[in-house]
Amino acid sequence: MAPTTARAARSTTDKGSHALIRRLLAGDPDIDGLRGRLATAAERQPGLAGLRVWDESVAAAADDPAAEERRTREIGRSVAGVARLTVLTYADGTADLLIVAHRDRLGRSGLGALADVAQGADVTVAFPAGPGPRPGPAPWGLGERTGRGEPLRLAVPAARARVGDAKQAAAVARDAVAATLAHYRLADSAPFAVLADDSVTCHTTTNPEDDEDAPSLGALALAVGTAEAGTDPAVGVFVVETGRDRYVPFTAAPFPVTVTVEVTPGHGLSAALATDDSVLAPVVAEQFAHVLGALLDAYALGTTDAALDEVARLPEAMAAGIVERGRTAGRTGFRPATVPAAFAGVVRAQPDAPAVSDHATTLTYRELAERGARIAAGLRERGVAPGDHVAVCLGRDVDTVAAMLGVMMAGAAYVPVDPAYPAERLAYTVTDAAVKTVVTAAADDETFPDHPTVTTAELLASSPADGEAATDPAGIAYVIYTSGSTGRPKGVAVPHANVAALVDATREDMSLGSRDVWSFFHSSAFDFSVWEIWGCLLTGGHLVVVGADTARSPEDFHDLLAARGVTVLSQTPAAFAALQEADARKGTALAVRLVVFGGEPLDVRMLQGWFRRHPATRCRLVNMYGITETTVHVTARTVTPGDAAAGSRSVGRALPGWSVSVRDRRGAVLPYGVPGEIWVGGAGVADRYLNQPELTAARFVDDPVTGTRQYRSGDLGRLDPDGRLDHLGRIDSQVKLRGFRIEPDEIRSVLLADPGVTAAAVTVHQAVPGDSATARLEAYVVVDGDRAVDDIRRRMASYLPAYMVPSTVTPLAALPLTINGKVDSARLRELAKAAPEPAAAPAPAATGTLLGQVLSAWSEVLGETAEPDDDFFETGGNSLLAVRLSGALRRAGLPPISLRELYVHATPAELAELFARRSEDASA
Amino acid sequence: MRLRDSVVMITGAARGIGRACALRAAAEGADLILVDVDGDLSEVPYSLGSPAQLEHTAGLCRKEGASVLVAPADVRSAEAVEAAVELGVDRFGTITGLINNAGIGAPSGKPAHEFTEREWQVMLDVNVSGEWRVLKAVAPVMLRDGGGSIVNVASTAGLVGYRHFAGYVASKHAVVGLTKSAALDYAPHAIRVNALCPGPVRDDPAMDGQMTAVVADALGISYDEQEAVYLESVPTNALVDPLDVADAAVWLVSDESRRVTGTVITVDSGFTAR
Repeated sequence: MAPTTARAARSTTDKGSHALIRRLLAGDPDIDGLRGRLATAAERQPGLAGLRVWDESVAAAADDPAAEERRTREIGRSVAGVARLTVLTYADGTADLLIVAHRDRLGRSGLGALADVAQGADVTVAFPAGPGPRPGPAPWGLGERTGRGEPLRLAVPAARARVGDAKQAAAVARDAVAATLAHYRLADSAPFAVLADDSVTCHTTTNPEDDEDAPSLGALALAVGTAEAGTDPAVGVFVVETGRDRYVPFTAAPFPVTVTVEVTPGHGLSAALATDDSVLAPVVAEQFAHVLGALLDAYALGTTDAALDEVARLPEAMAAGIVERGRTAGRTGFRPATVPAAFAGVVRAQPDAPAVSDHATTLTYRELAERGARIAAGLRERGVAPGDHVAVCLGRDVDTVAAMLGVMMAGAAYVPVDPAYPAERLAYTVTDAAVKTVVTAAADDETFPDHPTVTTAELLASSPADGEAATDPAGIAYVIYTSGSTGRPKGVAVPHANVAALVDATREDMSLGSRDVWSFFHSSAFDFSVWEIWGCLLTGGHLVVVGADTARSPEDFHDLLAARGVTVLSQTPAAFAALQEADARKGTALAVRLVVFGGEPLDVRMLQGWFRRHPATRCRLVNMYGITETTVHVTARTVTPGDAAAGSRSVGRALPGWSVSVRDRRGAVLPYGVPGEIWVGGAGVADRYLNQPELTAARFVDDPVTGTRQYRSGDLGRLDPDGRLDHLGRIDSQVKLRGFRIEPDEIRSVLLADPGVTAAAVTVHQAVPGDSATARLEAYVVVDGDRAVDDIRRRMASYLPAYMVPSTVTPLAALPLTINGKVDSARLRELAKAAPEPAAAPAPAATGTLLGQVLSAWSEVLGETAEPDDDFFETGGNSLLAVRLSGALRRAGLPPISLRELYVHATPAELAELFARRSEDASA
Repeated sequence: MRLRDSVVMITGAARGIGRACALRAAAEGADLILVDVDGDLSEVPYSLGSPAQLEHTAGLCRKEGASVLVAPADVRSAEAVEAAVELGVDRFGTITGLINNAGIGAPSGKPAHEFTEREWQVMLDVNVSGEWRVLKAVAPVMLRDGGGSIVNVASTAGLVGYRHFAGYVASKHAVVGLTKSAALDYAPHAIRVNALCPGPVRDDPAMDGQMTAVVADALGISYDEQEAVYLESVPTNALVDPLDVADAAVWLVSDESRRVTGTVITVDSGFTAR
């Protein structure tokens, strides 16, 4: 109920109050005597002047629940002056003196002293020197989404704790609360206060590193520090010692999270948690209390060698409940099938519907199936057998799709490789995958000297054989290579059944069907294309192959979307950002009804402009979190305009048939809200890494909690009580740049293999923080002897695909290290600035000239000092930045350039030349 | 317990509708600040609620389990009203509800021009200015604590005219006007202000009420004749009991009426329907 009257009046004033209840001697409570003694004391202690003593009789015995209710109500009333004194006389003749005061006006010892004075003792009542801490904010997103601040109070299970006295209890409570906050990774956002007797101390602690083993309780205790003065704690811990008087440390929980630890000297310790549902959702609070209880026990018992994650582990039933929350049941009636078998079903249903188009050709389902069958027959004739691997190294046309289909129809698995990749990497991939043959476009392709190659034209010359090779849905459909931290890409083998399950999991929810037109935008070597191709063809849609040039130009791509009437668009957020800019400029109507985001974390705030032009009712935006090892996608969340405004990080619930859970480094299930490693189970878990049994065993694990096979993603996430996942980045150093998954360690290994490099570091830098379009890779090297940086770069480029080649390679005398001995990435850039310029600065003469104008536009966009011969795409440029460069040039008064022109004239010098030629032509 | 955690101040609580409101609020779990005048007024031709009657109300409420503070005050004195409110806040910490009920029914019983200046003044001083003074003292507490509910007890005489009751009718109409304006003043601050208009109310012996007797007296007829006149005037053929009015007052001070403000609730057995 909204706080209209009574509730509102209670909420504001009671928060700082505490109370003391003293049982008066049986018999006449002698209220007048009490009043008189206070009046006398006030003559010597002016602070006590004006205190009234209220007096009420209660029609119940002192131990009757009605009497307890009455006491609770009395001490719950707010106090205007120094204190309120009330004597309650019960039906059984006993009486209590209740003293309520605001903590800032009268402290714990003051309450006791005031009671003593009222009873005739000659003591002085001390007043607090200054106000205590104010409650701080708790912006950690662990509350109920619809929480209205309903109060929650729950017991903290600390059954085994034994402590000597309140002082020891305070130390135990401080360490246990600090460790609980560290476990929840709230140390940065939640300073905490410990209030014991009159003493108030504010503390901070530090979060454990996500990529290191959990710290011991002893180490965590050492990390507890004192907060700066004026800190507003989000968590308050009251340590109360039981004694003659009953002391109530607060009447309304004063902090977002308020912990009470009650200690009976030499005996047990009991604890309680008070919060409200907007701070901690009820189930989150229950788990928080459990973790806190376990840590109170552990610190009280002195088991400081134990590791945090071991102590904080949840009981089995609680863990099972969380795991169940993260699982979405698969659709009943789903039957695993191979991709060709599922495709054949669509062919039978709609043989004459368009299946795939490129700029020149459209194939119907029947025609595509027929081409696939010819290719399968051609491969069989060349010795390809079920279970073999066949590399597909083709550009972007209908036959790329036919070749993938044909490989699978032959019972083999396709290994897509991008012809744009460096020869070294291509060679490594086909060798590692032990491909039987490589399907190429041109007969004279010399990229694969050590492997048999065959062109699609040759394969298509074969006659389709009768019947397909019977393949098992558990067999491998494709092998896709992803960046590997060991310095070599690793092949992920994905079974047919996984692809069928992915399509089944999304078909109904996304209403995928024969009226849809899909874009095939991404490199076939990137598994987002698996979703584009088979998501389309197994649901009867029309797949439009986007040419390489078109894919690089947001404007051209936008034109294609409009011309082809694409309805289902899959994009990485970085690519979409560029498309969105083109969309805002063009304003052409689009038929897109569904945008699927994948490949890298989506910052939903960037979608607000899109929503203005394309209402959510007409175009649905779905953010999907996924990994190659779990078959493209794992979770889905429809992004609403509200999400976009709020900047939600949620990636939603697991797809039907998939499951997600968040684990610690030992694999134990973490509570809701605690960041840890995302584990993925269910229908999408891939078969293995090729030729890497150890890595396979380390990442694809048999999970003792669920008894199922799970993939340890290495991604950092947290689960909320609705089963929705927040994706928080990587545990290790892996990064995603424009959808490409990159292990900086892989780049580092390549650099270290250079004969002239003795040490190397690779970082990602965003020129504009938060603007992923400005992100680029930077390499720092320590060079041995006189090896030229250009040579290092050239060698690196021959091993790495273009997207993995760092934009800069900076030589340093030594790599800066943090105190933990890790490379200090923050200092790398500072040192680079201080280092002597390896090349001469651009000639000042260029300023004011055409070249000067181009150079300044260049620097404006790329954020660096530009050189006339810098290649745009080699110095961090990408399609989005190209759009921006075009704008910067326009603003500088230069003629507009198309993106295609920029690809051809990729350096400032070449561009300036182009402009010069144009103006000559114009004046001629 | 619809008034758990509520602190309700009731003026004119010694008897009649005020006592009925106190009893109902106590039964709903409210803590009470009970106010009535400590002595008679020379201009008023009948005896007002006595300290003994106020204590009697308090005792009845305590039996219901309520904490009760008795705070005598004449609503004609701003100082006395402020002292009562200050004492109430000291005791209970806040005031969440006010039933602004103190009022007089006489001097009445003559045409408008026959009222003396003093008679006219005392009627307005108690019935309108008195309610305003209590509101003036309580509103700052409610503003400080973030909300509240004020019930101004008017009368059907705040809605229609009564022959030979010009002063009373003028004062009760003014209460309705005060209510509507104050509702607008405090709506942004979650303080609701409503008027309650009882119609022909029977004098309930349990409440020590005597308003109908006062009216009969003013008109020079017997109590039974007055009840008969009243009965004829109401379509339900049943007079209103003070507890019926109290039920409406409790609803108005409770959160159940949280979207009701600036309105007039009539409890009159249908008297003003025709």
